[in-house]
Amino acid sequence: MTDYVDAGEAVPHKTLSAVKGQAPATGDVNYERIQNARSEPQNWLTYYGTYDGQRYSSLDQINRDTVKRLTPAWVFQAGSVGLHSGASTYSFEATPLVVEGVMYVSGPDGKVWAIDSTTGEELWRYKWASPYDVSLCCGNVNRGVAVGHGKVYMYTLNAHLIALDAQTGDLVWDVTNGDVRAGESGSVAPLIVKDKVIVGSAGGEFGLRGHIDAFDAETGERQWRTYTVPKPGEPGSETWGDENAEAWQRGGANCWVTATYDPELELLFHGTGNPAPDFDGDVRPGDNLYTDSVVAVDVNTGQIRWHYQFTPHDLWDYDSTMENLLFDAPDGRKLLAHADKNGYFFVLDRTNGELVRVFPFVDRITWGEITPDGKVTPKVYPDEEGVPVHFWPGPAGGKEWTHMSYNPNTGLIYVPVQEVGATATRRRREFKESIPYWGAGVAVDLDDFYGYVAAIDPLTGEEKWRWNNEYPMCASTLTTAGNLVFQGTPTGEFVALDAESGEKLWSFQCGSGHHSSPVTYEVDGRQYIAVPTGWGGWVEGFLPGLLGAAAGDALFCFALPQS
Amino acid sequence: MTSTDRSDELHAAGLDGQNRTALGRLLNTGNIGHAEKGDDGIMRATVRIPEDELVWDPSIVVFPEGGEVELTLINDDKNTHCAVLPHNGDPKIIWLVNHSKGTARLSLSGPGTYYYGSTTGNDEGRGLTGALVFGGEVPDSAKIDRPPQPRP
Repeated sequence: MTDYVDAGEAVPHKTLSAVKGQAPATGDVNYERIQNARSEPQNWLTYYGTYDGQRYSSLDQINRDTVKRLTPAWVFQAGSVGLHSGASTYSFEATPLVVEGVMYVSGPDGKVWAIDSTTGEELWRYKWASPYDVSLCCGNVNRGVAVGHGKVYMYTLNAHLIALDAQTGDLVWDVTNGDVRAGESGSVAPLIVKDKVIVGSAGGEFGLRGHIDAFDAETGERQWRTYTVPKPGEPGSETWGDENAEAWQRGGANCWVTATYDPELELLFHGTGNPAPDFDGDVRPGDNLYTDSVVAVDVNTGQIRWHYQFTPHDLWDYDSTMENLLFDAPDGRKLLAHADKNGYFFVLDRTNGELVRVFPFVDRITWGEITPDGKVTPKVYPDEEGVPVHFWPGPAGGKEWTHMSYNPNTGLIYVPVQEVGATATRRRREFKESIPYWGAGVAVDLDDFYGYVAAIDPLTGEEKWRWNNEYPMCASTLTTAGNLVFQGTPTGEFVALDAESGEKLWSFQCGSGHHSSPVTYEVDGRQYIAVPTGWGGWVEGFLPGLLGAAAGDALFCFALPQS
Repeated sequence: MTSTDRSDELHAAGLDGQNRTALGRLLNTGNIGHAEKGDDGIMRATVRIPEDELVWDPSIVVFPEGGEVELTLINDDKNTHCAVLPHNGDPKIIWLVNHSKGTARLSLSGPGTYYYGSTTGNDEGRGLTGALVFGGEVPDSAKIDRPPQPRP
């Protein structure tokens, strides 16, 4: 036999593609610029557009009068190669960021791209290799990147925080921040504050002890870590049973949704996840702080300054990880709005956590009741072994992690609402690292569901209008000075609503359901609306009635015709 | 059950070869190999495609931990194949014509399992899907501050 033919050395897959490998240089995105992001609406600089989480843009070229002419400008297909984790549950959940015409966005399975935001041309790509067997409660997803200090930051499925060069996509540094053997993962979009990059843990169904971490944006050195479940002797530890109890060690309270931030108070407002086990409360007596809470964290030190717990001693998987939207009352009072999984809408004083008002924002609440002064009374819960208990809202909540938006012109908050119930049957089990730790069998309703966008006045609690839909709303809203609200539906439509009346003005069928966050930006005087699509993630939790719907992973971008 | 029992059982069921009970070979039913770590810290292993078997041999390669990998790939088959392999940054691809030999330098974090395959036709489904398995633990700095917990 002759010598082997020399096959050479394996080369990067992207070298056999049209990717350019380089993005244009942009101006430095630093802390001061992100603080003032509202003053440059042509860009979408940070996860929520601005630190306050309002998901509002002052762009108005696309408005109530022009939106009927909105058409696709380009489509970007993520695609996949080979076997990857969550092969049947991947979803394109990200919020794209845009800086001076360059879009930075993450997709499923460790992918990050820089894209020409006017043409959809792929400028560079990076793919973190994610293990096939990483523990994922809710699919192969990532909610986005942070851009700043010349870098792009992503938190990977296997809990590495990585920094990429913003122009080339080359790896600058990589820090392992979570324990995949303990069932930990990463999905949160990082947040840049000052010289820091902030991330939080994921893995609420695997009995972790949740944490928030701040890293030096230049070096990747960890500056602080704050656990969201106190250990014995720390404030709040008395809410985890007696001092010999072990429940705190696997208590949950993970932080897998990006925090909002008040630069004047220098406080991060981080939502925390469910306690573990989700549905078996007997093994964790007490309120179980700081699960299902908002924690106000000093960004400089990581110290928790105050907290407010939305569902003490949760027995329904009511994470409170979703956003805490910051807005000011007409009298200048600094407020925080939060639409919780438990079906109640909370308004707090964000300087001290004091409850201002609480009211229901969904139609059906049977798990319990919260009075206007905040007193919580559980009514229906799985407390008897083997006995099924049905409750509303189901474990995905009246609103899941996908985000509401606030329009300062209307004074309304636009909430994507899910009306889905569930049945849980308590089934006690031992804790073992990396094995799901629910403490129940759970079946979310396959029928009797619906959804709507609710336009809520946070100063009164009044619902001004709602736009009804046959299916629950499982994607974020976006609102603009064009007096519009954008919302993607589970069946693929991307719709524009009148922000004042809720009237549907425009829609486009994207071919797969929405479970992401649309953004808007402007380049050379043309306004664009971009939305990742792709039905997936924890569908069995928020809408199992569409478990058979088509998957997808395309990013659509819309604009008005140029002629 | 011993490994021999398992091999015998797979053979008896017709799952360890091409076009027997199934159309292709059941994935990852081939041999298991172990990488060797050199003085330079690089973990090295060799996989080959035997004639008409449409399988990587070994089909599972075990590495002690995440890190830098040098994989030698040999195509002893009388058909053309390729390999698309996981790598932090971007997957790597190598084209493997009949009777060829090449290398892939990979950087992969552990612990965890990655799959690779020959992405031509349906080589992946016929059996040419291999596993790279990385053992070890994450650094202490990445672990949760709590007492040791039970594992399965």
